[in-house]
Amino acid sequence: MISIDFTLNGRPCRIDVPAHWTALDLLRDGLALNGTKYGCGEGVCGTCTVLLDGEPVRSCLVLAARLRGRVVLTVEGLDRDGEPDRLQAAFARAGAVQCGFCTPGMLLSARALLASNPSPSEQDVREALAGNLCRCTGYTKIVHAVLAAAGGP
Amino acid sequence: MRLHPFALSEPETVPEAVEVLARFDGEARVIAGGTALVPTMRLGLVRPDRLVSLHRVPALSGIRVDGDALDIGAMTSLAALSRHDAVRARWPLLGQAALRVATPAIRSTATLGGNLCYAEAASDPAPALLCLEAQVRVAGPSGERAVPLAGFFTGFYETAVAPGEILTAVRVPAAPAGAGSGYMRFCPRSAEDKPLVGVAALLVLDAAKRVAEVRIALGGAAPTPIRARRAESALGGEPLTDAAISAAAEAAAAEADPLSDLMGSAAYRREMIRVWVRRLLLSLR
Repeated sequence: MISIDFTLNGRPCRIDVPAHWTALDLLRDGLALNGTKYGCGEGVCGTCTVLLDGEPVRSCLVLAARLRGRVVLTVEGLDRDGEPDRLQAAFARAGAVQCGFCTPGMLLSARALLASNPSPSEQDVREALAGNLCRCTGYTKIVHAVLAAAGGP
Repeated sequence: MRLHPFALSEPETVPEAVEVLARFDGEARVIAGGTALVPTMRLGLVRPDRLVSLHRVPALSGIRVDGDALDIGAMTSLAALSRHDAVRARWPLLGQAALRVATPAIRSTATLGGNLCYAEAASDPAPALLCLEAQVRVAGPSGERAVPLAGFFTGFYETAVAPGEILTAVRVPAAPAGAGSGYMRFCPRSAEDKPLVGVAALLVLDAAKRVAEVRIALGGAAPTPIRARRAESALGGEPLTDAAISAAAEAAAAEADPLSDLMGSAAYRREMIRVWVRRLLLSLR
């Protein structure tokens, strides 16, 4: 076991984990935060995306040990006092959700984009979401939702 | 699905990392970003008893401009590399190639050192670094040595890094004054895939618009990334006419030694090398 301290969704977190666990194993099985999904396990599908110090990463590829001392944001940390954040609200308004399995990863990739580029073009949005697969193929509404969130209040 | 159980070492200095690798001779494997190694482990292709993670070694991180040259710590992420101001201003070829690797959430994690040590033949940064005539530094039990990138890739997924050694940094000399450069890649399926072929070139034209210096490198064109020396020879001293560009593209296709795999046959790769060398040179005219 290894011991790690990090900041999770704004709160300090200290936990012991097996050395071979990934960040995704830690979130889902160690901390019961099941919003972050296990899709391909190979870094391709994007549904396990979380933000590490504000940058999107594949939690299925990152060893849990690498979270030590860093700031992690998962989909469970997006809302403010139970109110959906700007992106979540825009996704709901645009109907940018079908089965919902890709949604946590989409939201976090989009959040990282808007943090570095508050007024993205449609092309910017498509490039930022290129690594997030939606097998319902609902991309059009997802892209519209991100653009709406960027332009909205 | 869990990874197989393994022990983890997290050294904080390069000598400590080298010492751990020596102590677990043959049983430990270095992990940098993990974007290549973790899927490989998940597929059961490798099953190391111990990983030596380099993420806590401060000496391996950071990008430093050292006079005319650029020193890049091996653990620098491709994302950090592609947005670094000096890289964008003075080594745009490298920044451009780094930005073409996979997707944002991979580039944030994948490292330049890891990309080179994985030795994927279709690496995006490798052809750019071959054009820039980069060197790598490798640390091992008997100290540190420099290896020109031109001699680094020794075979299919093989490098000059010996067991027990660690790639610590990449040094990129200044590009020749007045050089133009570019990187193009061809992905037959999706843009975030590794390329079928990738082409990097760096060109200096003299006042009469003749080629004073030219460097061309290819990814996906052989078992390793390669310089296309015969294509370079076909251009040297000549004006960049359509005929000269076509001759260089033919030479690149002829000197390539591509493999057949699920992405494309050797014959198709060779043809795409011809097409993309030509397109890239036309764009630099």
